[in-house]
Amino acid sequence: MENRAIPDDLFYDRSDYWIKVDKEVVIGLTDHGQGNIGDIIYLEISPVGTIVRQGGRCGSIESGKWVGSLLAPISGVIVETNRKAEADPHQVNADPFGCGWLYRMEPADRNEIARLMDSDAYKAWIEERIRLEAQDGAVR
Amino acid sequence: MDLYHLGPVGWVESQSIYHALALLDHEGLVICYPTTPYICLGLHDDLDYEIDRTYCRERGIPLLRRETGGGIVYLDNRQLFFQLVLRQDNPLLPLRRHRFYEKFLQPAISVYRNLGIAVELKPPADITAMGRKYSGNGSGDIGRCTAYVGNILLDFDFVTMSRALRVPDETFRRHLYRIMRANIITLADCLEHPPERSALTTGLIAGFEEQLGDLSPRGLDAELRETALRVGERLTSREWLDLPGRRPAERKVKIAEGLYLLAQQTAGQGRNVLLVRDGIAKKITAGNDAMEPASPVGA
Repeated sequence: MENRAIPDDLFYDRSDYWIKVDKEVVIGLTDHGQGNIGDIIYLEISPVGTIVRQGGRCGSIESGKWVGSLLAPISGVIVETNRKAEADPHQVNADPFGCGWLYRMEPADRNEIARLMDSDAYKAWIEERIRLEAQDGAVR
Repeated sequence: MDLYHLGPVGWVESQSIYHALALLDHEGLVICYPTTPYICLGLHDDLDYEIDRTYCRERGIPLLRRETGGGIVYLDNRQLFFQLVLRQDNPLLPLRRHRFYEKFLQPAISVYRNLGIAVELKPPADITAMGRKYSGNGSGDIGRCTAYVGNILLDFDFVTMSRALRVPDETFRRHLYRIMRANIITLADCLEHPPERSALTTGLIAGFEEQLGDLSPRGLDAELRETALRVGERLTSREWLDLPGRRPAERKVKIAEGLYLLAQQTAGQGRNVLLVRDGIAKKITAGNDAMEPASPVGA
């Protein structure tokens, strides 16, 4: 098992996002997720007011020679984006659960949150992926 | 895995076909080259920051923004493109996307080595020999697929590339040309008789078959053509090209992995040109203009 932080008080999805639940929810990339992406050189989050569906695109991210989309772990409305992280995307690598948070969202359906993974389930899921990697000869 | 061995295609099709494959959720390998030149921006490049639009317009050089990463590139018929589209659930595809370059670039590495050029992979995505870059590559998630794109440089128009980029002044441009010329190398630079394009293609296909198994030659069906047409219109639309992107405070041009040219404003009215090599910045003085071409990275 790689030595990556997985805080107990968060929820997780299979695209390596963490979700902190409060009145609103805060969303970021997990330590495992940012490690897979590598040094992030560009981050763009959909503007405040954007309505996104679970699994929908809500931004874009680039690391070195790869570009991908930010995918919403739950449905809702983006109410705040982390402008400092957009200006300095390295914060997502350096402090993914702190200064490197991505955006706040007003959830549309709290039942979606209940279906996310807790820290134990996420840890087990990562371990399974790493096991498959060793089996397949590729980092899945 | 399907093989689209297309040979010469229009400049838009040289990008739109692999985008269309990805959007249609079709895996495949595309090998092609554009019949006419163009400039291709990475997804997050800022057009006005990067490109001298007036020069491009006067020279009739069209622009396209792809959905994969990497920076601005000048592309023409002296390059051979290889573009691989894989579904994101393909077991070949690593979570750490950049690690797939080791496999994706192996066919091109074999082609160079079979020509007697001792190249190696410089992670994540450069093919180099003696510190000089032989190939430009990038990747990106498109729809439910990931596309990896690369090229083999038969030759390269360094003059047009350095002229088309927006730079703070002509001193910077001069340094840019010299440093590109010293750190990027083509088959024309190192072989007295460059190989036939068909021989390069055969080598690439053989290399990819080792990676992917048998490749089944396919033509473009109506669905793929129509999708590519729509995608091509989008990738070249004014609205798409004008999307805002990276705008570092100081002009910075990436030459190769770990090598950048940087214009740094001084406290007075002057400007320094810095060469940043593996994180270490070195000032280039005016006197350097008379020097031999800059030493390649790592040499």
